[in-house]
Amino acid sequence: MNFIQIITNHYDALLTGAMMTALISGISICLGMALGLNLAFGLISKHWPIQRFCAGYRSLLRGTPMLVQLFIVFYLLPKIGLDVPSIVAAIIALTMNTTAFQAEIYRGGLLTMPPGQVEAARMLGIKTQTIRIRIIIPQLFQLVLPSLVNETIAILKNSSLISVIAVTELMRTGQQIVAVTFRPLEVYIIAAAIYLTMNISLAKLGSLAEGRLAIATRS
Amino acid sequence: MIARYAPSLLQGLWATIYITALASVIAIGLGLAVSLLNAMPFRAVRWLCRIYIEAMRGTPILIILFIIYYGGPSIGFTFDAEPTGIIGLGIYGGGYFAEIFRAGFQSIPKGHIEAAQMLGIPKSRIITRIKIPQMLTLIIPPVTNQIILLLKESAVLSIITVAELTKNTTGMVAETFAVVEPYVMVALLYWAVVEGISFLGRYLERKISYA
Amino acid sequence: MPDRNVIINEEVVAEPDVVIKTEGLQKNFGELRVLNKIDLEIRKSEVVCIIGPSGSGKSTLLRCIAFLEEYSDGRVFIEGKLLGYKVVNGNLVRESQSNINKVRRNVGMVFQQFNLWPHMTVLRNVTDALRVVKKMDRREAERIGLETLRKVGMEDKTQYYPAKLSGGQQQRAAIARALAMKPNVMLVDEPTSALDPELVGEVLQVIQDLASEGMTMAIVSHEMGFAANVADRVVFLDEGQIVEHGDPAQIFKNPQSQRLIQFLDTWKSREL
Repeated sequence: MNFIQIITNHYDALLTGAMMTALISGISICLGMALGLNLAFGLISKHWPIQRFCAGYRSLLRGTPMLVQLFIVFYLLPKIGLDVPSIVAAIIALTMNTTAFQAEIYRGGLLTMPPGQVEAARMLGIKTQTIRIRIIIPQLFQLVLPSLVNETIAILKNSSLISVIAVTELMRTGQQIVAVTFRPLEVYIIAAAIYLTMNISLAKLGSLAEGRLAIATRS
Repeated sequence: MIARYAPSLLQGLWATIYITALASVIAIGLGLAVSLLNAMPFRAVRWLCRIYIEAMRGTPILIILFIIYYGGPSIGFTFDAEPTGIIGLGIYGGGYFAEIFRAGFQSIPKGHIEAAQMLGIPKSRIITRIKIPQMLTLIIPPVTNQIILLLKESAVLSIITVAELTKNTTGMVAETFAVVEPYVMVALLYWAVVEGISFLGRYLERKISYA
Repeated sequence: MPDRNVIINEEVVAEPDVVIKTEGLQKNFGELRVLNKIDLEIRKSEVVCIIGPSGSGKSTLLRCIAFLEEYSDGRVFIEGKLLGYKVVNGNLVRESQSNINKVRRNVGMVFQQFNLWPHMTVLRNVTDALRVVKKMDRREAERIGLETLRKVGMEDKTQYYPAKLSGGQQQRAAIARALAMKPNVMLVDEPTSALDPELVGEVLQVIQDLASEGMTMAIVSHEMGFAANVADRVVFLDEGQIVEHGDPAQIFKNPQSQRLIQFLDTWKSREL
């Protein structure tokens, strides 16, 4: 068991892999945030067709395995004429997935917000879109931050699956190192440790952010 | 085309179901044990429990499977793909269930336990006759959710060549030229099973709750 | 051939003095009829107090005038313009949100629960609409904001967040927020019902000052003493209908209808 040797020999590859993982996850989460918010507003819409469509999307994306979603996106894109690199397909699949989960999170938050604030804004003549941006969303984030952090961690873990469509992120990097060192146990434990570190740091950042936000706007 | 591969898909579906079931049993058992251990007054024991829980919640299932399947042989244990998958999924799920049970225990009003203590009921009985029954209704939604999660994660087992639903679909795709349709069909199959489990869960909730 | 779809924006030009007018206003919540053929007129600088037992529909009436609830039948006119609907072939068809906002521009509202936005300071609460709706720049908005806050006595709390203020302070800030938009009429929905008793006075004082400056107001309140002193007209609502209305002296000292007499009795027995 020579963990140290493996780390010192391959730390650059590991680092690159980790950064790829972080980058891909980050992009997917941010895109998912924008889309998820819209989906959430769609989920509480009084316009029946919109609500049904959004609910259907959410149900499908939350009720099927990420791996299968990945395969569908990966194989579907070239068929509809979009010949994009694997990494783009991966981001699209991850984004579509997290959009559904985030939408559910935001919807939960929206339901607990008191309607009076929106009424006051309406009486002052503020437009719906502006109400959402200036009044609803800032409070929403504070409310759902813990769930959002959990979802971020989930995406980071899901990103390991994109190794099967040959994206060189952390998982695949690990496989490549195993091919060279023939020490799967040590290498994968190291990779696991890296994932763990990223996720624990995220969780800690999340609690910190929670604390800061709470001080700023509450008594 | 579907007819040709129907048996293989059905077999995969069955495999997925019993793999999930077995893994869930392992995970629930493990989770319950860990959550009980975590409540013991020994700091070292609690520390170990915490490490296990955090490790399972912070690492991807794929790596855990790889560690056991590819790494296991170098320290002596070699398993077939399927048992590895079941055990790996079970260990992974255990961490999550431990958290679910912990939250469940915490939500029982302290007063109920104190009343039992004042009546002289021994600790073990308190656990079995008061804590666990009260917890049951509360934890059905998160437990159902977690089982659904394990079902979805079971697709990952295909990567270490376990012959469950996704793997069989991949096999079917390799032999035919239809690439997207099989996966879409299979996605719908998973979705149907997931909805089924959700439905069962809601039904169970209603039956057990004493409201 | 006459047009098949005739859209009329009914304008009541005959009475330019009437700020709010309801004609046959009705509101149903499912099977329940909460407001039943309400005819109400509020003129410029008039202060109308709406009183009545719980469940009589007082708040619903105000909210229908504000179009925070869509009324089921009848008409509501703000400054002569039909609110919330347009008439197509004799039927009421819901207006677009932006048209509703246009008719409702000069109506301000004060809520029982204050409804300040908790993630903004008092000053930002007051200036946000000025910046976003009236497109003012920050300096101008803050100038008006401070002026209005001074009026309600909150000028030294501008940087506070609502959570750190007492109920009375929050309500006064909320009044400032509505005032800053320079409304022509204020709808005030039970402004003190959510306040601790000792904070009621400071809010009523602000409202009274507004009234004496000539602000047109429709106030729903349980504060009978306040209504007696400040109102030009009192309207008694019971089970969704206007049972009696008149000037305060008439209503409080010389009630005519049985229900009003009963209602006032329960209030008298409360004030020891």
